[in-house]
Amino acid sequence: MHWDLILWLISLISNIVLLVLLIYQLICLSDLEADYMNPYETAANINSLILPEFGLQAAFCALFLVTGHFFMFLVTLPVAIYHARLFARGEHLVDVTEIFRALSVEKKHRLIKLGLYLLFFFLVIFRFPAGSISSLSIFSSKHGDLDIRSSFLEF
Amino acid sequence: MRPFLSSGPVAGRPDGDGVRPPPPSAPGSAMPFASPRPMAGPPVPGFRPSPVVGFTDQIRPGPPPSHAPPTSNNFQQFSAPQYSGPPTNPPIRTPPVGPPNMNMASPMPPNMPPPIQRPGVPAPTPPLTFRPNSQVPPQPYAQAPPQPFAQGPPQPYAQGPPQPYAQGPPQPFAQGPPQPFNQGPPQPFAQGPPQPYAQGPPQPYAQGPPQPYGQPAYAQSPSQPGMQGFVEDFSSLSLGAVPGSMDPGLDSKALPRPLEGDVEPTVFNDMTMNCSPKYMRLTTSAIPNSQSLASRWHLPLGAVVSPLAEASEGEEVPILNFGSAGIIRCRRCRTYINPYITFTDGGRKWRCNMCALLNDVPGDYVAPLDATGRRIDADQRPELIRGSIEFVAPTEYMVRAPMPPLYFFLIDVSVSAVRSGMLEVVAQTIKSCLDEIPGYPRTQIGFITFDSTIHFYNMKSTLTQPQMMVVSDVDDIFVPLPDDLLVNLSESRNVVESFLDSLPSMFQDTVNVESAFGPALKAAYMVMSQLGGKLLIFQNTLPSIGLGRLRLRGEDPRVYGTDKEASLRVPEDPFYKQMAAECTKYQIGINVYAFSDKYTDIASLGTLSKYTGGQVYYYPSFRSTIHADKLRHELARDLTRETAWEAVMRIRCGKGVKFNSYHGNFMLRSTDLIALPAVDCDKAFAMQLGLEETLLTTQTVYFQVALLYTASCGERRIRVHTAAAPVVSDLGEMYRRADTGAIVSVLSRLAIEKTLSSKLEDARSYLQMKIVKSLKEYRNLYAVQHRLAGRMIYPESLKYLPSYGLALSKSMPLRGGHADALLDERCAVGSTMMTLPVKSLLKFLYPSLIRVDEFLLKASSPDADLKNVEKRLPLTAESLDARGVFILDDGLRFVIWIGRMFPPELAASLNIDFASDLSQVNGSNNEMSRRLMGLLKKLRESDPAYYQFCHLVRQGEQPKEGFYVLSNLIEDQTAGTNGYVDWIAQIHRQVQQNA
Ligand SMILES: [Zn+2]
Repeated sequence: MHWDLILWLISLISNIVLLVLLIYQLICLSDLEADYMNPYETAANINSLILPEFGLQAAFCALFLVTGHFFMFLVTLPVAIYHARLFARGEHLVDVTEIFRALSVEKKHRLIKLGLYLLFFFLVIFRFPAGSISSLSIFSSKHGDLDIRSSFLEF
Repeated sequence: MRPFLSSGPVAGRPDGDGVRPPPPSAPGSAMPFASPRPMAGPPVPGFRPSPVVGFTDQIRPGPPPSHAPPTSNNFQQFSAPQYSGPPTNPPIRTPPVGPPNMNMASPMPPNMPPPIQRPGVPAPTPPLTFRPNSQVPPQPYAQAPPQPFAQGPPQPYAQGPPQPYAQGPPQPFAQGPPQPFNQGPPQPFAQGPPQPYAQGPPQPYAQGPPQPYGQPAYAQSPSQPGMQGFVEDFSSLSLGAVPGSMDPGLDSKALPRPLEGDVEPTVFNDMTMNCSPKYMRLTTSAIPNSQSLASRWHLPLGAVVSPLAEASEGEEVPILNFGSAGIIRCRRCRTYINPYITFTDGGRKWRCNMCALLNDVPGDYVAPLDATGRRIDADQRPELIRGSIEFVAPTEYMVRAPMPPLYFFLIDVSVSAVRSGMLEVVAQTIKSCLDEIPGYPRTQIGFITFDSTIHFYNMKSTLTQPQMMVVSDVDDIFVPLPDDLLVNLSESRNVVESFLDSLPSMFQDTVNVESAFGPALKAAYMVMSQLGGKLLIFQNTLPSIGLGRLRLRGEDPRVYGTDKEASLRVPEDPFYKQMAAECTKYQIGINVYAFSDKYTDIASLGTLSKYTGGQVYYYPSFRSTIHADKLRHELARDLTRETAWEAVMRIRCGKGVKFNSYHGNFMLRSTDLIALPAVDCDKAFAMQLGLEETLLTTQTVYFQVALLYTASCGERRIRVHTAAAPVVSDLGEMYRRADTGAIVSVLSRLAIEKTLSSKLEDARSYLQMKIVKSLKEYRNLYAVQHRLAGRMIYPESLKYLPSYGLALSKSMPLRGGHADALLDERCAVGSTMMTLPVKSLLKFLYPSLIRVDEFLLKASSPDADLKNVEKRLPLTAESLDARGVFILDDGLRFVIWIGRMFPPELAASLNIDFASDLSQVNGSNNEMSRRLMGLLKKLRESDPAYYQFCHLVRQGEQPKEGFYVLSNLIEDQTAGTNGYVDWIAQIHRQVQQNA
């Protein structure tokens, strides 16, 4: 059970970091739109965060695979594939020369991703420990809730 | 030192856009109003009866025109007598059939009495004192009844909306009587005499003796019974009515052809205080009043701006210096003072025309107003009467001392550059221009040459010979002696000259075929980044070493037609975009001169120009023996034309509308600020606007282009162009006031941008769809009232749109597929088209074809009859005559076509060498040859931005004829493309589908 707890903490923390990275990028984009930041700063700020974000997300996803949490793995996989595709095409970085033209699309993509990250966040909090006990019990949230408490109690 | 940090000198930042208070609904009483000027203008020859729909126009804020209420609603607001009108006056208004904008403004029908004019009777002060922008309750009608105008049909319909123009002074539309622009019906807006019905309040009628039969003129509607047929407000083409048949039944002679070239729109200058269309053109000078109306306008809605266009003699933009007083600008929206602002409060306040804020007039700028509310000194103040003005900017518009003009040359000296003779021509040309480079004595200059290594030149004025330093480590570039690489031209003149003299010989024995272009570019950037300036790159080979190394691509025909096709037209290596962005940041503008006879990846190199406000000059297979003149001329023009340095441009517009996309060569520094490290008279920029509010409440939208730049003389200046356009509620009006030139210009930029992300085919169909949709919408305006079967209808203002559309889809960047144009050529021409001003673009798309043999053979007659020669012919093979000689001129090159039956001895006396493809029609001393040279010279002078290289083609000489002539005869059907007739038929078919 201790391992599960550590795993749970790790995924929780990395999920929070992912959220922070993404929200910061969104803030940069809105600052750009409001003319509080120039395109050079915006692009530099965002681009410096993209690879860490991609890496962390990939690790996050792999972590579930390695530890056998297949449900969480499958949930996080699409984002990882999306990232991999962007990276493979060389489209992952923000293009400073066309940043204003791409602004609305970049924002939209990030907002969708933000929604997914939030979903992960809630899954990690409420569902993930359940999966750690029995991969079948993932469909029961009650057990999951209980489980969190129980692991806290045990700790 | 970083010029322009994020909060750099901005031609006015949008301060607090989000917190604009709503425009005060200022009471009219605050403003002196009403010019005593007689409101009744002279008789109006061009008078058009206002159609019935006018009635339906609502008092603002009213519903959008698309759901105009029944006309009768409005009538009832008038006193009954109008209905009891004289029996001779047949039912004056039939309620309109169909949507309100289906009005047919038609020339005045013969049976209509002329409008009543009483020139002798001055109009009294108009009773209405509404300000523009203020939301006025529907008072006009309340005031109407006391006025005896009731006998006639209700002219007041013309005044439906509050008449802001009634108040004399502000008169945004300078001519005489104010014209209410936003009234649904097709106001002709003629520049001609004022339209009586347009004169704001109904005074003229109110005063005269009752003239029961007179006034109906205004009320006549084309749908009035008794009128003999319709007078159509549109132009049309008859097409054979056999659907599906191959023969479109079109008379190709009847098709409209833009043989006069670009015609500047006259409607734009309805507003007489607008800047010249040379500087700014709107795609339609009628702004839709609602988003729903805007969405029915399928063409681009926007502007083409050429802020530094060459002024014609006597119309130079005046330069004003307000000195320490500062430039007068609106507190809130930062609009510059312009002719459309209004003064109030005895001249102590002025109202901003963009945001309606009341600003204080600085103490020493106050001047009393005359009775019309006009400043008494207005005529002495160009900023109050001219649409284009230039202010000398005080120090708050600078983040650093104004930079000196700076020219830096990055020259390829690999073996092909030397062998082609490029190096020699470039060195000679630069040397010959040294005296004319602007900015003496501050101008700075520097050189780097490169092959597989990078060569720097120390040109310190104390030296007698330049010192060359070679850096061969291209992976880790460092700049030796950074201080002496850029020198003051006048101080180091001798060193520079001796460098240029020796440059060609220095490398004449080179065998180096490599090109460390990327590292050399980086080095140039490092040298220039202190000051910025203009970087001229002369590139002869594909970059092969170090950063930005490129590979051959685009040779694979299989890529065409797939989704990967577009990737060939964008830079391969992100290095180029990054360098371009960095250069713009440090005020470096890049012009690329490319010369290779092989693939040089213009798509990548051109990116450097694209985002730095520069341009690409492309000389495929350059040979100095042939192309030297072209290079010499164009390089000389680039070096000597007046250039604006470290510039930023912003275009402001009134409340409710917003520019949301920009198209051209530049980089955006914020959502609406265009950064232009170096810009000149040959560049134009396009932008599109959208409505931010569902309904516009203003009657006029103002536009103001402001270009903040450093002149070569070292003065920081702001060039301001202001224009106004009426807000309309009628789609027909938008079409009527459309400007084909501006529309084609924006469309071509959009289509070229589309080729960067999609297939060529998609870009072409995008273009076609735009044209079809707009014509379909137009047709719908008239479909109910007119029998249109078998006819293609279009507004007179857009009669050339289809032909330009066809030309555009056959132009180099969009035409065909893999085999139809070389990739480099596509990209180079595409890049050029992104910068061309409207006039040049139209000429490029529909080149002029003229017949010259008679002119050449005529024994006497001096050059005077040049006018006759310049009669342009339709671009079809039928125009060519085997006995003649023709010149095809697209502004970038000439093609001389000589017919098969043109007497060979005469051709010989022209001293033309057919063997080579050259311009060496070198003047022998005979009369004919001299005439030809004179003619070419004349034609070139009319279009100095480029040097038109002259190709000679004899009839039937393949493949040259196909390439230079036939592919430009855009009206003909060539492999896989439509001819003009088919194109029209195709568009017509599509317009009718689901119509
Ligand atoms: Zn303002």
